[in-house]
Amino acid sequence: MTEFQSSATSGSAVDMLGIVKDFDTFRAVDDVTLKIQPNEFFTLLGPSGCGKTTLLRLMAGFETPTTGSILLGTKDISRLPPNHRPINTVFQSYALFPHMTVAENIGFGLKMLGRSRSEIKVTVDEMLRLVRLEGRGDSLVTRLSGGQQQRVALARGLAPRPQILLLDEPLSALDLKLRQSMQIELKRLQAETGITFVFVTHDQEEALTMSDRIAVMNAGKVLQVGSSRDIYEHPADRFVAGFIGETNFLQGDLEAVDGMSGTVRLKNGVRVSAGLSEEAPRHGAITIVIRPEHIEITDVGAAGSIAATVATVVYFGTDTHIHTHLADGTPVIIRQQNRRDGSRAPQTNALIGLVLPLGASQVLRD
Amino acid sequence: MAKAFTHGTADVKKQPGFAVIAAICIAVLYLPLMIIATYSFNAASNIGAAWKGFTIDWYASALQNREFYDAAILSIGLAFAAMVISTVLATAAALGTTRGKRWRGQTAAFVTLTTPLVIPEIVTGISLLAFFAAVAALIDINFGLGKLLIAHVTFCIPFAYLPIKARLEGMDETLENAAADLYATRWQTFRYVTLPLVVPGISSGAALAFIVSFDDFTITQLIAGPGETTLPLYIYTRIRRALTPEINAMCTLLLMISFIFIILSFAISKRRSQ
Amino acid sequence: MATDVDIAEAQLSHKRWLTAPALLCITLFGMVPLITVMSYSLMQPSEYGGVVPKFSPDAYISLLFQRDVFDDALTFSPDYLIIFARTVAFGAATTLLCLLIGFPTAYFMATRSPDTRNRWVLLITIPFWSNLLVRTIAIMFIIRDEGLINMIMLSLDLINAPVGIIFTDFAIVLGLIYSFLPFMILPIYAALEKVDFRLAEAGFDLYASRFQVLWRIIIPLAMPGIITGCVLVFIPTFGAYVTPLLLGGGRHMMIGDLIALQFGSSRNWPLGSAFATVLMGFVLLALYIQARKAMGVSHG
Repeated sequence: MTEFQSSATSGSAVDMLGIVKDFDTFRAVDDVTLKIQPNEFFTLLGPSGCGKTTLLRLMAGFETPTTGSILLGTKDISRLPPNHRPINTVFQSYALFPHMTVAENIGFGLKMLGRSRSEIKVTVDEMLRLVRLEGRGDSLVTRLSGGQQQRVALARGLAPRPQILLLDEPLSALDLKLRQSMQIELKRLQAETGITFVFVTHDQEEALTMSDRIAVMNAGKVLQVGSSRDIYEHPADRFVAGFIGETNFLQGDLEAVDGMSGTVRLKNGVRVSAGLSEEAPRHGAITIVIRPEHIEITDVGAAGSIAATVATVVYFGTDTHIHTHLADGTPVIIRQQNRRDGSRAPQTNALIGLVLPLGASQVLRD
Repeated sequence: MAKAFTHGTADVKKQPGFAVIAAICIAVLYLPLMIIATYSFNAASNIGAAWKGFTIDWYASALQNREFYDAAILSIGLAFAAMVISTVLATAAALGTTRGKRWRGQTAAFVTLTTPLVIPEIVTGISLLAFFAAVAALIDINFGLGKLLIAHVTFCIPFAYLPIKARLEGMDETLENAAADLYATRWQTFRYVTLPLVVPGISSGAALAFIVSFDDFTITQLIAGPGETTLPLYIYTRIRRALTPEINAMCTLLLMISFIFIILSFAISKRRSQ
Repeated sequence: MATDVDIAEAQLSHKRWLTAPALLCITLFGMVPLITVMSYSLMQPSEYGGVVPKFSPDAYISLLFQRDVFDDALTFSPDYLIIFARTVAFGAATTLLCLLIGFPTAYFMATRSPDTRNRWVLLITIPFWSNLLVRTIAIMFIIRDEGLINMIMLSLDLINAPVGIIFTDFAIVLGLIYSFLPFMILPIYAALEKVDFRLAEAGFDLYASRFQVLWRIIIPLAMPGIITGCVLVFIPTFGAYVTPLLLGGGRHMMIGDLIALQFGSSRNWPLGSAFATVLMGFVLLALYIQARKAMGVSHG
């Protein structure tokens, strides 16, 4: 019995509506509603155990949701077995069939779909070209390097031209260099094939580089969905702000609200202007977040600056990290790009002034 | 102690005398077999006699012995049938107790499947003797060789089951997920992915089942009817009469068949264990 | 449509069904016969073998007592008890000696390079799976009065007349060790193979002697394997049948022979069943101890 549901947002590739997944007493996915657009590179980002892989397995069909439904276009697929879903997966361990050649692996899905031998051959050759493994079709997959196995796994998932390709931390087993080149490769493949990619990772840098949109997850819930820039520059809450990149949190009171920004009085009396998202509180004690590279250093006592004591200065090549603390002990990190003129970094134990530029800080949701 | 460490790298694993004991151990295990095999080529007609020259006459006379020949055919046929049936049952059982979610009673099923291993053969033998007698008293069936086949299949199941189960457990379940993800039905997943990968386990288990059935003496002796003489039973009746050099040849032949299957099983299970 | 069912549920019922044939076979032809025999131990013997289905505790009483033919009086008779005691003693001696030979061998194997290890495992595995009857005949061939040992000693003038080795307790224990030694080596080897021998280095670093490293570090880590090996040797030794039959010559019986005798020429099935029940009791006890100890060790 296939259930059809009319959906107002029939433009999405995947619609997840109120998905809950319980394992015995553990709630892995907690009321997740997500819309993934067609032809999108969508990333599920979160720490291990946040439910992102379970969400992926629900889409693939290896798990069935406890409640809620998954729509593919307008069709409810949440209770279909994996082989009845036009969705393919690239597994974390690649899961290449060790007893088959590269070509047999890539052609497996088409063979199961009952395609003709000639059609399979044409598609396999095309896929081999796409992932740059021409001429390796007859190799045993066990003879390939990690990076090559990764490409075969991708080609195998793409060969049946699924509506969605799910990628479960596929780069985690590769070393840094290879991972970086595969990130670019994945973007290219997604653009060339026009298939919607749903990518799962715990690596925030990977997510920021590759994704059109990112959903940040923690404890089974989706905390924020948005573009890389959105998520990085306007984190919705403390978890997102802390998980993505290094950041500073400062306590204060929201004194005045003016549309999408507000005036915050920090503990030491300095007033700063901070951005306000729709979910952010409109009054009372709040936390603001500011990225280390957005803080400017000035002389102590300069107007509108916050006094801070330098604790440690760490040289990083491209930039220098200055660890400071405010009078009340709040730690603040500042990142300064290193210039050729060798602009002086402050000395340890020096007293400096910190300036939070207009619009660089953001009030967090509770 | 310091003295032992003065030359080159210290071998922290070495324990004095252990190598000697290991060598004695191998000697103890193999010498009797080697002696019996060597004497099967001794030309002397008296079994305890000194070496009188090389001959293969005893093999010729063993192979020309009609009773020995019949017993060998029965043993091989029985072992083959027991191997096929027990391996099929064991493969199904191993699939049922390893893949996917655990089910209620799975541990009980595992314990039941392996019980034949912990019941002494003599107890199994008299149990089956009593059981078949009771069944024959209730309903008038003549099991004939069926008795032997049923008994052999039953005690072969765990020997076939364990290697297959081990192989399945060592196999990444994601492979089957991947097949399902690539549109394979449950049967296609089994046919194209699970089965080819578990073949080494099945072959190894089948070889063990064959040996165990082929070598069985105690249970078979207790339940075999007249005329149902397997190779071990035949050799036993022969040594009750007299030890002759021909028996050495027969024993050596019997060992050879076991060896082939052991080495086969070992080689298969070691090969390509990814 | 068949696809719209709960996938997990469908797989579970599917899986249960797969184990059914093997379970049925073992239950029907393994468990039911065992229960039959246990129930026979509480019945009366029939004259021509088999049982008369009437309750009687006689089989168990006669394990320890003899009933006088004329006045039905019970007198203590240690005959069977002696056979039981001999079986336990042989089992214990065999297990201990197998351990003394088996542990150093397993240790030696586990400290070789991986390739050499595999070759040794094969070397130990071959006798493990070889025909027990043939192996026992091989021992018989060597130790009998006209056998190799006596022949060599006679020809070297070490002795004047053959030394009687066969048909002695020694012969049986020798045969049992020979038969079941691989059962000791393989589990100990499996346990030792997993031991991280850098721990031995740490031991030496902390001033332990070679023996102390072995006794205080390696052996405790190999304990689950040692216990399994002991149980695997003790259980089949306890139920041994072929070895005492051939090497004991009927004079030095063990429980196994006694059971076969009751089901054979003595035609006292209830008594044989009672022996078998007691034997199974010992086996279960050994398995229980092993399960407890193995668990205790791995949690300790």
